[in-house]
Amino acid sequence: MSERAISITNLSHTYPDGTPGLRGISLDIIRGESVGVIGPNGAGKTTLLLHLNGIFMSKNGNVEILGKEIRKENIKGIRRSVGLVFQDPNDQLFMPTVFDDVAFGPLNMGYSEAEVRQCVARALDWVGMTGYEPRSPHHLGVGEKKRIAIATVLAMTPEILVIDEPTANLDPGSKWSLIELLRGLSITKIIATHDLELVRVLCQRTIVLDKGRVITDGTTKHILVDKPLLCAHELAPPNAT
Amino acid sequence: MMAMVGLAVALFLVFISRIPFGFVLKHLARVSIFIFPLCVLILFTYHQGDEIARFYFLTVTSGGIEHACLIAVRALAAVILIFPLIGTMRFDVAIKALGKLKVPNKLVQMLIFTYRYIFVFIEEVQRMFRALTSRGFTGGMNGRTLRATGRLIGMLLVRTLERAERVYNAMVSRGYEGNLGTLVEFKIGGGDILKAAILIAIAIALNVF
Repeated sequence: MSERAISITNLSHTYPDGTPGLRGISLDIIRGESVGVIGPNGAGKTTLLLHLNGIFMSKNGNVEILGKEIRKENIKGIRRSVGLVFQDPNDQLFMPTVFDDVAFGPLNMGYSEAEVRQCVARALDWVGMTGYEPRSPHHLGVGEKKRIAIATVLAMTPEILVIDEPTANLDPGSKWSLIELLRGLSITKIIATHDLELVRVLCQRTIVLDKGRVITDGTTKHILVDKPLLCAHELAPPNAT
Repeated sequence: MMAMVGLAVALFLVFISRIPFGFVLKHLARVSIFIFPLCVLILFTYHQGDEIARFYFLTVTSGGIEHACLIAVRALAAVILIFPLIGTMRFDVAIKALGKLKVPNKLVQMLIFTYRYIFVFIEEVQRMFRALTSRGFTGGMNGRTLRATGRLIGMLLVRTLERAERVYNAMVSRGYEGNLGTLVEFKIGGGDILKAAILIAIAIALNVF
């Protein structure tokens, strides 16, 4: 079994209007790693994440997930293996009730009714939201929505969790509670964020992305103390605690 | 006559469903905005039977009055019948029931997304109006206001499209392939069958007689 959870080789992406999203990205992510992807707005973080789940299929370059190149034939398996949590939980939670939202992925994967119910119960338990099943996502707070959004992908028992801006729009209490939740998940995590406090706490490795290119890739400990590097890419060093 | 019986049945169903009549009347008032002009139009354009009144070139006949009343009563009865349906269960349950009744999945999906995103849409509109108001926007019929409103609607469409794309991506990322599956537990008992049979019998009787 491959030790590499994700292997990206020379990946480029251009949007239909001609704007380059990614330019020649190459990186490997090892199983069990927690990797922070940081960079200014428009750096290409979300574009990169969308390639990991096959939303964007690589035309230039190659993306391998758990040793398998992403292809149309294996896309269902890839999407089960890579759980993608979007930045705005209103995009992720589109069903009328929390139960339906969490059950959506397992149902599409063809699980039996009993398995779906089990997956939903387990995922909601992981994120501490048991009892929210009949609630309408619209009536939840942002922190609660974020937790449910994570549960929607955990229900598919992914091996890789990809999260876009998990702490955006959260108050400090909800933010730290979410960080604790993510810290408790022992799977491969790729987290795109501006929140360097989160990166410091959760990620052993950090990749700085800017203008679609990997600027640097190293240990979080070293990158977060490199103020000139962070400032050059419009990032604020976290407060030391 | 049978239309009046139908209206009475609809009102009786509202009564036994314990839905407040005030709530029903409030919503009927809104629906009447569409029904009333239609009835006025029928009143003056349907010419059959004795002439009852004439206003310049417009003629009201007994047939016209009868037809306008029939349309009004039927429309009101139909609208009132919706209240026992959606007023006695959660909307998401009603949508799932439609799915179980083999209503086309695409239509069910449209209803689900309309229900889920109508609140998000309203919030978006309110936010945009607040942003406009904070910069001195006031309502009116002058060119400047209309231009600003037009741009707001345009921007709203753009944002709606962008959100639709993001929601679609979120669905696809969790294995969506065109059909929306939900797990629902509906149990049907003897009482439900009896109630359904009575209502179907009434509907058939109204249609036949």
